[in-house]
Amino acid sequence: MEFLTDPWSWWVSPFVDNEFMRDALLAGVLTVLTTSLVGTWVVLRGMSFLGDALAHGVLPGIAIAFIIGVDTSIGALVAAGVMVGGISLIRRHSPLPDDTSIGVLFVGFLALAVVIMSSQQASYTGDLNRFLFGSITGLDSSDLVRQAIAAAIAIVGVVVFYRAFLVMTFDESLARMLGLRPGLAQAALLVLLAISIVASFESVGNLLVFAFLIAPPAAASLLARRVPVIMALAVVLGTVATYVGILLSYHHESAAGATMALCSVVIFFLVLTITALRSTLAGRRRPGEPTIDQPVQAAQRP
Amino acid sequence: MVVATTSIWADVTENVACDGLADVQTIVPLGGDPHSFEASLKDRETMEGAALIVANGLLLEESLSDTIDAVEQGGVAVVRVAESVDTLDGGDHDDETDHDDETDHDDETDHDDESEDTHDHAGEDPHVWFDPVRVAQTLPVIADGLVAAGIDRDAVDACVADYTADLEATDATAAAIVDELPVEQRLLVTNHDSLSYFADRYDFEVLGTVIPSPSSLAETNPADLEALATLVEETGVPAIFAETQHTSSDAEALADRVGDVAVVSLLTGTLDEPGTPSGTYVGWLTENARTIVDALTV
Repeated sequence: MEFLTDPWSWWVSPFVDNEFMRDALLAGVLTVLTTSLVGTWVVLRGMSFLGDALAHGVLPGIAIAFIIGVDTSIGALVAAGVMVGGISLIRRHSPLPDDTSIGVLFVGFLALAVVIMSSQQASYTGDLNRFLFGSITGLDSSDLVRQAIAAAIAIVGVVVFYRAFLVMTFDESLARMLGLRPGLAQAALLVLLAISIVASFESVGNLLVFAFLIAPPAAASLLARRVPVIMALAVVLGTVATYVGILLSYHHESAAGATMALCSVVIFFLVLTITALRSTLAGRRRPGEPTIDQPVQAAQRP
Repeated sequence: MVVATTSIWADVTENVACDGLADVQTIVPLGGDPHSFEASLKDRETMEGAALIVANGLLLEESLSDTIDAVEQGGVAVVRVAESVDTLDGGDHDDETDHDDETDHDDETDHDDESEDTHDHAGEDPHVWFDPVRVAQTLPVIADGLVAAGIDRDAVDACVADYTADLEATDATAAAIVDELPVEQRLLVTNHDSLSYFADRYDFEVLGTVIPSPSSLAETNPADLEALATLVEETGVPAIFAETQHTSSDAEALADRVGDVAVVSLLTGTLDEPGTPSGTYVGWLTENARTIVDALTV
């Protein structure tokens, strides 16, 4: 109960006293900024599974880069590119739905990573594990710089492509009619998605990137309908998850990255509970009326 | 305060700073796996506040290594003990040639040359604490670290002298236990690659490993498992050694396949609760030697 009885020393002084706490918070907030802006479109366009697949699909690229001694970010970016290319290849040459082609490549890439790591028999070269969970407890300045650049790219990309993303999300044929080239917009969104994953995996880990990509925008989309408001709310909710997660890891000695990821999911369920209760109460007052706040994307899915 | 990553190195460090010369704290909890332990931000704070960090090194603490590096950059002294001893190659279990390759290493210069860049050590087996003679070789390095952290040189040197004698006695005890076992029965089949240094010290041969890589993403393949099963059958090895902090399902599958083989769990990367026989490094080594020899005695 110290967070109630002595709020200053629970909520604030760890950050005042420790540079690594401020670094962890900064890395977390930069990740949230990037993933909230990109993740809002991922959630609204129903691309969560692709996000998950990409977050894990970068692993074979990291493994190969690790073995041949290239920067792991480059390996991850190449793997993400190959995966996205593979998905659109399957889409062009088969009648299969997208989630099937994503699933096939997801399992293929994950298996490839394991095969590559298993072939490195008994050489103590480290483990891919740390890319799943990152090490927000061991950030250096290059991690922060990389994430700041990714956040800047995400902001610019989302502003530049805002109209294209919006129209593409809600009416693809309208987008084509308006000359907005939905194919290009889709490619831009995938590039932004890949950048947000690759920039963050070494510091906060793939698991946390994926949690922040989905949970805060999903929670925000339950609370608001306009896209810029969803983005702003997602940043706020993600920042709260980061802040609380870092403090819980600090005070209760839990694994840092996973605690933050868990906090963002808990916040999603809190928001879901509140909105569900609200619509139940509203429904009780005005029986017969449709419930408010249908998630925006429900009506838009093909 | 001095911080050690694992309970084994914490106990060794406490003996180098004997009679409470330093308060030693451990990061990876008892029973935890040093390969995959994820640090909390509290652990980071503990490390930041340390006068000295004693780590194993050689990528043993895979998930902690970024944190240790970051703390070191912030000015905290770090001693990576495994880098101060003659190491074995990870891939090669032929201890004779292995050892010959590296006997020309001079401990002192070796450490000085390579402490700058830990990445030079990729490929070396980190589990050096399975050999008490190598552990004794790390004591001067830990002592230097403690003295640099402000502890009295004479007091530390006295501790090192005492503990070196303890470790020599432990080595003699373990050797006496192992002597009960005829040399031709000293065959080890292990779940994960961690007994090479024990084998090197006490003339065991590591016949094979079920999962020959420390990576938790690595898996075994049926051909290797079959070859290992054949080898176990041919040699009549009575026991396969698994580890308490890893799953032993593959080792058990191998035992089922072969039939008349026991799967014996060893405490490998961690000590037991204080007060138990394996609660200190010295007791831990003797217990493991006893368990291994008993399991292999037919």
